[in-house]
Amino acid sequence: MESKFQYPRFIFSAIVIIAFGYGIYEAFSYAYLAKIFPLYISLVLFILAIINFIQEIRAWRKGAGGTARGAADLESEWGDLGMSEVLRRFAVFVAVVIVLYALVWLIGYPLSITLFIIVLYRFITGTRWHWAILAGLAGLGFLALVSKLLYMDWPEGIFKLPWPLG
Amino acid sequence: MDVVLQSLAVVLQPSHLLMLICGVVMGLSIGILPGLGGIVGMTILLPVIYGMDPHSAFGLLIGMVAVIPTSDTFPSVMMGIPGSSASQATIMDGYPLAKKGEAARALGAAFTASLIGGLFGALVLTLIIPIARPIVLAFGSPELFMLALLGMSMVGVLSGNKPIKGILAAGIGVMIGALGDAPAVPEYRYTFGIDYLIDGVPLVVVGLGLFAFPEIVDLLIKGRSIAEAATLGKGWLDGVKDALKHKFIVLRCSVIGVIVGFLPGLGGSVVDWIAYGHIIQTTRDRGKFGQGDIRGVIAPESANNAKEGGGLIPTFLFGIPGSGSMAVFLGGLLILGIQPGPGMVTENIDLIYTAIWSLALANVFGAILSIALSKPITRLTVIPFSYLAPFMVLIITFACYQATRSWGDLIALLLMGILGWVMKQYGWPRPAALIGFVLSDNLETYLFISVQRYGFEWLTRTGVIVLAAIIIGSLVMGIFYQARKSSKARASGERNGK
Repeated sequence: MESKFQYPRFIFSAIVIIAFGYGIYEAFSYAYLAKIFPLYISLVLFILAIINFIQEIRAWRKGAGGTARGAADLESEWGDLGMSEVLRRFAVFVAVVIVLYALVWLIGYPLSITLFIIVLYRFITGTRWHWAILAGLAGLGFLALVSKLLYMDWPEGIFKLPWPLG
Repeated sequence: MDVVLQSLAVVLQPSHLLMLICGVVMGLSIGILPGLGGIVGMTILLPVIYGMDPHSAFGLLIGMVAVIPTSDTFPSVMMGIPGSSASQATIMDGYPLAKKGEAARALGAAFTASLIGGLFGALVLTLIIPIARPIVLAFGSPELFMLALLGMSMVGVLSGNKPIKGILAAGIGVMIGALGDAPAVPEYRYTFGIDYLIDGVPLVVVGLGLFAFPEIVDLLIKGRSIAEAATLGKGWLDGVKDALKHKFIVLRCSVIGVIVGFLPGLGGSVVDWIAYGHIIQTTRDRGKFGQGDIRGVIAPESANNAKEGGGLIPTFLFGIPGSGSMAVFLGGLLILGIQPGPGMVTENIDLIYTAIWSLALANVFGAILSIALSKPITRLTVIPFSYLAPFMVLIITFACYQATRSWGDLIALLLMGILGWVMKQYGWPRPAALIGFVLSDNLETYLFISVQRYGFEWLTRTGVIVLAAIIIGSLVMGIFYQARKSSKARASGERNGK
């Protein structure tokens, strides 16, 4: 069952090949001095990406793992969690971030992130409403303070709200 | 000598000290969050240092990066999960010590070893500047191009058991760095008609996307707190005494830390394991390693702090980052209008010494604060990560938006985050990608200048030939070594199978 979740590994390796292939193709349309560097880099990497893809397939058929340690810093170890569940939770997180972005686009960053904190505290961590609202307000206060002190900016929504909400 | 003392006077100014302490406190906080190491910490600070005086900015950046290897010991010892990649080996003996009720002893030894290691790294950096100065000044664009290539090839070869994946990861970084305007001519590359990509993807976005986003996702997926118990036990003083008793281990591993920090591609991910392996190989009574031997804590902790001093050497002198966090530091230098490379030793020597003093002081502050604040920090580690995650999302999205203050930053953060997570899951070394990204512009510029100035004659320069031989040698040896290791592993697997 879990073996099918090895497919993303190969899909990613294939995407890398396509990306470097596109790098070569696109480089031909540039002026000489602009094309030299990306063209040669893409060319070498395209060949290496194909070799890597073949190695991954061979390693998979032999049943060997395919992680690179060393500079690969922390490897994820999931314990009892299956890869299918890991991928599902990852997709949920990405979806939550997309919803957050949509909210930012509508009502601006400060109010969106405040609501985001409140909702996560209330429904993911199970905190009581008043604590969740307090956490959200703490986030808003932090944003307002930092933006004033360090002259930082935030994305505004299509519905303009008064400072510090929008 | 005058410059050294002048820099000390600058470092001791209240404004600089304040920045340094701010950096130290932030570094200590980030160090206890698993996975969020120097790269994420420094990247969050990049938007803050725009327009700042370089000396103060150095205080902030170096204050942070110097102490992360100190505070990342808390989760390693308390729960057995590394606070950052540089503290993985500390778990081997630190966690068993904590289970025996000797967490305070392990932390005391770790902080003392970290302090000595950090100071040793700063000392080596101080000594190497006057020695390296004439050599560095002899380097022109062709040699710098070859050095950057050497850095990239070492990143690839040293990236574990798949050299090709390491090189490809670095290549992904180089190609992301090649997006947008070309350095040599007015031409925009790979922009797909998107205005945001005209200036390329900012370092803040790449750093936070590749490193912060995947760690937050992973911790949320696992859904647990950093540590389970908040009891330190006793033995602080014993730990300090242990570190002082094993002073030669501390010194030897500090030397290892400096060397590993100096070499591009190794960095924090392996320095602790090399030090840990060294101490096991050179010790006669090795029976207690893995069960709570204090030497197993002292060795990696002294090495991982010393590596920051080593990492600053190639970053300052050649503009070649020794690790992912040094790659972000390099980006920080460019934001401050400082061009790292041979020019540093003539034009900005005072800044180098400011960095050295900041590094030394940050290590002292970091060790003192870690000991003084150990009880509240330990309590902090039992907070479930789901409570911290929304605030982490706030910090990374807000910091990211400061890069160009456009929607592109947020969208690019999400895309880079997905890329970073996938790379992490399938063993593509992300630090290699970050180093490739930071070196991309330099690689192209040095190549362009070399060709424009010398034609193809640049290939015949002695320095270039020597560096080319080293690159080829390191690639061949690296691939040969990996092949031999794989065949040994296969042979041993077949024997076990029988």
